[in-house]
Amino acid sequence: MINLGPDQITAELRTFADRLAQGAKTLGDLGEIETGVSPRDPVYQEDKLTLYRYQPRVTELHPIPLLIVYALVNRPYMMDLQEDRSLIRGLLDAGVDVYLIDWGYADAADRQLSLADYVHRYIGHCVDHLRESRQLAAINLLGVCQGGALSLCFAALYPEKIRNLVTMVTPVDFHTPDNLLTHLIRHIDIDLLVDTLGNVPGQVLNFAFLSLSPFRLAGQKYVDVVDILDDARALKNFLRMEKWIFDSPDQAGEAFRQFAKDFFQQNKLVKGEVMIGGQAVDLRKVVMPVLNVYASQDHLVPPAASKALAGCCGSRDYSELCFRGGHIGIYVSARAQQEVPPAIATWLLARQETSKKGRKTAKRRVRNP
Amino acid sequence: MADSDDASPAAGFDAELLLKQARAYLAFGAQIRQVADRFQDSLQQETDWNSAVRQQFEQFKDAITQSSNDPGVNPELAQLSTVMVDAWQQAALALQLPIAAPTDRNSVAWRAYQQTQHQYFDLLQQAAGQALDLMEQRLRERAIAGETISNLRELYNLWVACNEETYGQMLRSAEYSALSGRLLNALLICYPRRETTT
Repeated sequence: MINLGPDQITAELRTFADRLAQGAKTLGDLGEIETGVSPRDPVYQEDKLTLYRYQPRVTELHPIPLLIVYALVNRPYMMDLQEDRSLIRGLLDAGVDVYLIDWGYADAADRQLSLADYVHRYIGHCVDHLRESRQLAAINLLGVCQGGALSLCFAALYPEKIRNLVTMVTPVDFHTPDNLLTHLIRHIDIDLLVDTLGNVPGQVLNFAFLSLSPFRLAGQKYVDVVDILDDARALKNFLRMEKWIFDSPDQAGEAFRQFAKDFFQQNKLVKGEVMIGGQAVDLRKVVMPVLNVYASQDHLVPPAASKALAGCCGSRDYSELCFRGGHIGIYVSARAQQEVPPAIATWLLARQETSKKGRKTAKRRVRNP
Repeated sequence: MADSDDASPAAGFDAELLLKQARAYLAFGAQIRQVADRFQDSLQQETDWNSAVRQQFEQFKDAITQSSNDPGVNPELAQLSTVMVDAWQQAALALQLPIAAPTDRNSVAWRAYQQTQHQYFDLLQQAAGQALDLMEQRLRERAIAGETISNLRELYNLWVACNEETYGQMLRSAEYSALSGRLLNALLICYPRRETTT
């Protein structure tokens, strides 16, 4: 059953201690843990928001720029974590002209920012900046996770400004039975939370995420890291991910209040009942081509929560891309680099050509565009 | 349960003893919680911090002495714990450590929070106990399949997997959803509100 003797246990513990001691040296020599590797330039700024344009890596670019809207709850450098793990780099290599909104870090001054500010004002101003600077009627939009939900709201409110919409690991139906985050938030008095804390500390959300799998995420992971303490490259990759995980911005109070209550607790997005700045968000108005990318093993946004978009958006050109992996793996796994950016770029390019020909496409469901 | 071939003390590792000690550890944790609860009561009655701390540690040591009577607990370990508690007591008194409470410890809100926290810990403890049962079951299954655990890491990984499984079941229950929500709400009520709902 358990074949362990004192000598073996002692030897194993000694090896563990030796690795830890060696690891101290590796850690000391690692230097700065850098993230966000692709060169980029700020092109627009408003309050704490910065809109970046990534420097192209090919000469022939897609004419329609792609604006990435990341979630508010983590930092967007997950999309460009390191040279060999960068969804953004993959898109650039495929000829996509990539822009990204960096929300910055909300502080006390942002306590009253609402979803209306984020959708109508911040996303709206970035979209308009690109439309004006590029002299285009509409641009392409890619929303990630919570940023996908915000992008859906924007696309429903301003369909004329969005040529093609890509949603990645985006929750639409927040009440699927396997939605753990909704399960945890269901009985929390959100008004009490926001009225008490003001902005919601990022570490509170981080704790909630870690509490989904505490023995693995707060224990086993750090025991396992001892195995790579002598490998500077692997250790740097590990720490880069750790840096991202714990780099959690605080959430502007009012925006959090509405998102938690309307989206998580009352599931208003899928019901068409979300109001943003007095305007109703009706997903049937999302009529542009939509590519919905979800991860089959996503424990934060279950596939069913994302796939619900098929039944409620108004697009006649709706496609799905299922990535075999999890919520984080879809950005950073080796397979994701090979599969996801090329698929998105190909899908966008096909819609660009379709648009040129002025051809109307029939509503369809495609697994792998 | 002990397998005479590879789980007996002669072979170096007794799985049954291991699980027994783990359960005793959980029971010890439960006793400490009871002592901590009583500490809150003594704080209500006692305005002098030093006196309250002294009372608390005396109760703590009594609890350890009681637990050492349990045949499942190693008496030397219990004695060691008593020495440690003595050291903590001296340190706490020397440092005048305050207990960080967000509000008046005697308030109804704080008491309500503690009550909810108690229920929450009960649920966690239940899941931890179930994890040990599951671990026992997995060890039996391995024994039947002729598989052995041959290093500490493997044993630790099994413990993690069993805890994740039972914790995950608890996490997905309606009871946990309601209780964790009530726990956070009860804690928040203890803090002054910055502003009213807009």
